[in-house]
Amino acid sequence: MSIIAVYNIKGGVGKTATSVNLAYLSAQQQGKTLLLDMDPQASASFYFRIRSPKKFGTKQLLKGGRHIEENIKGTDYPGLDMLPADFSYRNIDLALDECRKSHKRLSKVLVPLQEEYDRIILDCPPNLTLLSENIFYAADYILAPVIPTTLSLLSLDQLFAFLDEIGQAHDKVMIFFSMVEKRKKMHVEMMQSLRERRNRVLHTIIPYSADIERMGVYRQPVAAALPASSATVAYKSLWYEIQNLLTT
Amino acid sequence: MVHPGADTWLLPDLLPAEELLAALAAEFGLDKAPEYGGMVVYADSFDWRLYQQGCLLHCHGGCWSLYHDDSGEVTIQQDGLELHGSCFARDFPPGRLRELLEPILGLRCLLPLATVHLQGRQTRLLNRDEKVVARIVIETQRPAGGERSYRLVRLFRLRGYEDEQESVRRIFAENGIIETISPLVGFAEGCRAKGRSPLDYSSKFTLELAGGETARQAMTRVYQSLLDTITRNIPGVLADYDPEFLHDLRVAIRRTRSGLSLVKRVLPDPVSERFSREFRLLGAFTGPTRDLDVYLLAREECLARLHPSLRPGLQEFFAGLGRRRQIEQKKLVRVLRTKKSEAVLNAWQRALKRRDRQPADLAGLPIKELASRIILKRFKRVVRTGRLLDAATPDAEVHRLRIQCKKLRYAMEFFASLYPQQELQSLIRQLKKLQDILGSCNDLSVQQEMLRQNLSNLAAGSRRNLDQAAALGGLLQSLLQEQQHLRAHFAEVFAQFGDQETAALFHELFRKQREPA
Repeated sequence: MSIIAVYNIKGGVGKTATSVNLAYLSAQQQGKTLLLDMDPQASASFYFRIRSPKKFGTKQLLKGGRHIEENIKGTDYPGLDMLPADFSYRNIDLALDECRKSHKRLSKVLVPLQEEYDRIILDCPPNLTLLSENIFYAADYILAPVIPTTLSLLSLDQLFAFLDEIGQAHDKVMIFFSMVEKRKKMHVEMMQSLRERRNRVLHTIIPYSADIERMGVYRQPVAAALPASSATVAYKSLWYEIQNLLTT
Repeated sequence: MVHPGADTWLLPDLLPAEELLAALAAEFGLDKAPEYGGMVVYADSFDWRLYQQGCLLHCHGGCWSLYHDDSGEVTIQQDGLELHGSCFARDFPPGRLRELLEPILGLRCLLPLATVHLQGRQTRLLNRDEKVVARIVIETQRPAGGERSYRLVRLFRLRGYEDEQESVRRIFAENGIIETISPLVGFAEGCRAKGRSPLDYSSKFTLELAGGETARQAMTRVYQSLLDTITRNIPGVLADYDPEFLHDLRVAIRRTRSGLSLVKRVLPDPVSERFSREFRLLGAFTGPTRDLDVYLLAREECLARLHPSLRPGLQEFFAGLGRRRQIEQKKLVRVLRTKKSEAVLNAWQRALKRRDRQPADLAGLPIKELASRIILKRFKRVVRTGRLLDAATPDAEVHRLRIQCKKLRYAMEFFASLYPQQELQSLIRQLKKLQDILGSCNDLSVQQEMLRQNLSNLAAGSRRNLDQAAALGGLLQSLLQEQQHLRAHFAEVFAQFGDQETAALFHELFRKQREPA
């Protein structure tokens, strides 16, 4: 059983596309998987065509137990369930702040779910807040998609600085390159330099792909809708690499 | 609202599938999958080991699916061999299916138990977001050899969409779909067409006797149940599917013989005498093949006892045993196929059913009275013999105690239903501990004797025989050491069995009942 958070401080780096596709591949190969959409924009929920239940929001999420279990929805794919996001998550930091042991709350509500699911994948919102601290505390692994640009690499430094600040180990983090355009010289150089500077940079590269962008149109994981596409091959290779790291 | 177990219905004959789908289309979007169809063969061991674990296994060509019988969820789907006649777990390619099957099946093989032709189609029901909210499968199951086919509709739940699934149930009811049915009806009927039904065989002896039955009535039922076991195992022995058929056959024969010697003066003497003789012969015919089976099953364990340099010689020896087993098996088949063997079993059947012209003197006794008397007598005998045993007692004496324990055990099992279960089972457990150690001692002694004989028959002069002799010598030594170790511990195990507490429980359970005032 492991909890994987897909996280980056920057937005638009391919977090949701990664969560959705890896959750799908995990369910196909590894048994029961739960995808938790933590982002108030609810993009992952949108991709799976799941609406937030009427009586569900921040309050229920933080209460945990049956308040979560009653609101988990089956996706169209066997072995993959989802807890959809709610718009009220935008104020989740305020609610967390009022909880006791506020940085461990998420970890606590995930405990009973670990009995039912072999894997839990968290699709996280882009920011650096009390919620992020909760996520880092709860997750066994932090998977960080990075576009090989200056600003994106800068955000990675901020992530490690934050981990130091809250006393979390760096080796939880796995980095991979996302939305890569190999014809751009800068992308190639940036990848080269990061590989030299940091450990745990995965080999797999997810290319910039129109098929992934179009997920919003067909509203399915690209691995389900276009199983033969190069994007699917890339996600499969990424999942394979991650799986090997999880077991060792 | 939850409807446990009520997720499969029989489709009314007059309701075409298209009409049902049209009714559903009024409330849901429909996404129909392509139609599937084909012949599937359900496989399990003769004694239903998978079914006992709640598993069903079927193959379609070389594609195997294992699923949980109540949820219908496929646990493992994997390619394997095509099932012709029988196969073992070890015949599957390495993988999850083999890992799961090996411990459950043990020595038993898989046999085809039912063949069903399946044809159907899955339809996914969608809401206005085109999100799947339920899945239904309309399927026709036609068991081979059965009289009719079954049209079913199954509803598969999806978490978080209970309201929508309630609507599906409502639409089903409005269309006259109300009769629920097992999703395994095709499997059950397919078994029935082959003369089987789930859990219809177990190697354990279980028989419900009533305390008021006469000894003759009760023993007839005991013998009849053993005779059924004998006749049901013969086809498997002839086909040589797996070694357990012969083992179960032999146990049933031995139980019958023990019955005849334990419970005297219930069947007329001439009958008892004749069939004691007949079953002793039948048991003797089955002996050589079983002995070789036991040695061959111990192959890996024996190899592990030896230094690697001695192992090739032992492998050679086991190859020879394998060839001898084939010869003995052929002889056994010939004996079982004779008219004489069939005639003996038929005559036994008739003798059991027949009304005795001159009933034996204990025939009319209430069975419980007789059973208690026999069990208590046997218990006392075991205790008496056991107390005399120590580490130096000759093997033949140990063997005698082993046979006495077996008789006591069989007697307790024949009449188990007449006594309080908990107490009886705890006594049987204690007895079993004793039997296990006696059994191991005996196996070790018999194996050593067999090795010594083989060793003395080996001709001198060839390199191969030299290797074999060295291996047999090494094995002999290892077996002897283990036997001595076991014998040293025998006294303490026996002390537990022969203690006052156990004796008191035996006397309490099986003491003579007072006549009602």
